[in-house]
Amino acid sequence: MFYREAGDFKTSYVDDSQTFPIKFERYRYYFVLAVAVLVLPFVMTDYAVNSIFLPFLIYAIAAIGLNILTGYCGQVSLGTGGFMAVGAYACYKLMTAFPDVNIFIHVLLAGGITAMVGTAFGLPSLRIKGFYLAVATLAAQFFLVWLFNKVSWFYNYSASGQINAPERMVFGVPVTGANTEAWATYLFCLAFTVLCAIIARNLTRGSVGREWMAIRDMDIAAEIIGVNPLKAKLTAFAVSSFFVGISGALFFAVYLGAVEVGEVFGIQKSFIVLFMIIIGGLGSIFGSFAGAAFLVVLPVALKIVGVDMLGWPTDIVAHFQLVIVGALIIIFLIAEPHGLAQLWRVTKEKLRLWPFPH
Amino acid sequence: MTLKLATAAVAALMAAGPVMADLVFPSLSYRTGPYASGGIPFADGYADYFTLLNERDGGIGGVPARVVECETAYNTERGVECYESTKGEGALVYQPLSTGITYQLIPKATADDIPIHSMGYGRTSAANGQVFSHVFNYPANYWNGASGAINYLMGQGDFAGK
Repeated sequence: MFYREAGDFKTSYVDDSQTFPIKFERYRYYFVLAVAVLVLPFVMTDYAVNSIFLPFLIYAIAAIGLNILTGYCGQVSLGTGGFMAVGAYACYKLMTAFPDVNIFIHVLLAGGITAMVGTAFGLPSLRIKGFYLAVATLAAQFFLVWLFNKVSWFYNYSASGQINAPERMVFGVPVTGANTEAWATYLFCLAFTVLCAIIARNLTRGSVGREWMAIRDMDIAAEIIGVNPLKAKLTAFAVSSFFVGISGALFFAVYLGAVEVGEVFGIQKSFIVLFMIIIGGLGSIFGSFAGAAFLVVLPVALKIVGVDMLGWPTDIVAHFQLVIVGALIIIFLIAEPHGLAQLWRVTKEKLRLWPFPH
Repeated sequence: MTLKLATAAVAALMAAGPVMADLVFPSLSYRTGPYASGGIPFADGYADYFTLLNERDGGIGGVPARVVECETAYNTERGVECYESTKGEGALVYQPLSTGITYQLIPKATADDIPIHSMGYGRTSAANGQVFSHVFNYPANYWNGASGAINYLMGQGDFAGK
């Protein structure tokens, strides 16, 4: 009834090719954005920001990055944790070397540095495919973590091997360091997430994204119709690593503030981001958000219900958390192998015909 | 310096005690995860000790103590979540029990004005109370604990040639 194309006339090509062609959905998108920017910052608590919103926004960027590589270009990667570490350490070195430069620029530069590292590790993808590429990127994961432990230049020769984010301001408001306000860190990360999502969405539906998808669907056929696999695969690695680097920089600088590389950016991180895009939906920007929300919010919600409301012992709740999240992952993948994004797509198709489905 | 500060903190705590309803001691336990075998007895002991104080002495200075337990699984991110969820209850002191979580909590707890007792582990340089006003690694960190032990042994007799 509300969700339909009828009556929404497009008079230009720009109108016709916009991201949300249906009026209802377009307004819903503006509404979500307005609530996120204008309402949420005023009602933010430390707890909500540090245990739900910051991890959700930052993991969403990482999931978008990996989704570009794995979901759109079909190159399986297990090196996400390592690339996030590159972003974090690049951001740390830039923050400490150039304290006067705005942190916003440092985070973007950290993304750029990660893009270069990612492209270098993406070179083997021209020769090896599938599981073998996964193993090659796994090597990147272990190598990068080893490198950041081994070479003390990366952590400015500190005795503990940890990196600590110094205080940096945006418009005179601290966004990193100890004295941050919840709303400031939230808005800072939100800006990056929205920016990354818009860029990713428009890249994936343009010519670059079509090349990636052609390579994913059948690389030999794509090569025959004129897609350059070298360019397509390396741009996918570069763009993907750029987003993953940004998320790593934010993860270190804004969310945690102090990082020990093996503990924070280990193989665990690579897997959790991979699970996010598999559960959320491969090849979908919305899926990246849905997957990140599923794996960040659900454990916290289960903990609040179990410990705070039901008053169960914390270890029982922690075990149940693993059982429930694990079972839900299996149920979702059996019921809908294409992830939460596909569920959303089906819902939208149903809505389009509602309430007269025939 | 550290001891004096710790004494001052405990004294302040005692003085402030009777005003509050109860004394909140968050327990960032790790009963699950890779280090659970060490985490379970510690968390049990921590909770048992405050139960003992409550039932034998009627609390600390007549004020009952309350242990708020939160499961970290020795994981840094869940430790941060635990800190944020328990600090609002009027937490008096944090024992992060993991070096990774300690590093997260040092700036946060200093900004929130809550002391951290990282018993030996955590940040060694936090022994300098002039810089780290809210962190106490009493009774000793690894390095001055080790040198104390060696110095003691040196005083026990002649070790030449051993």
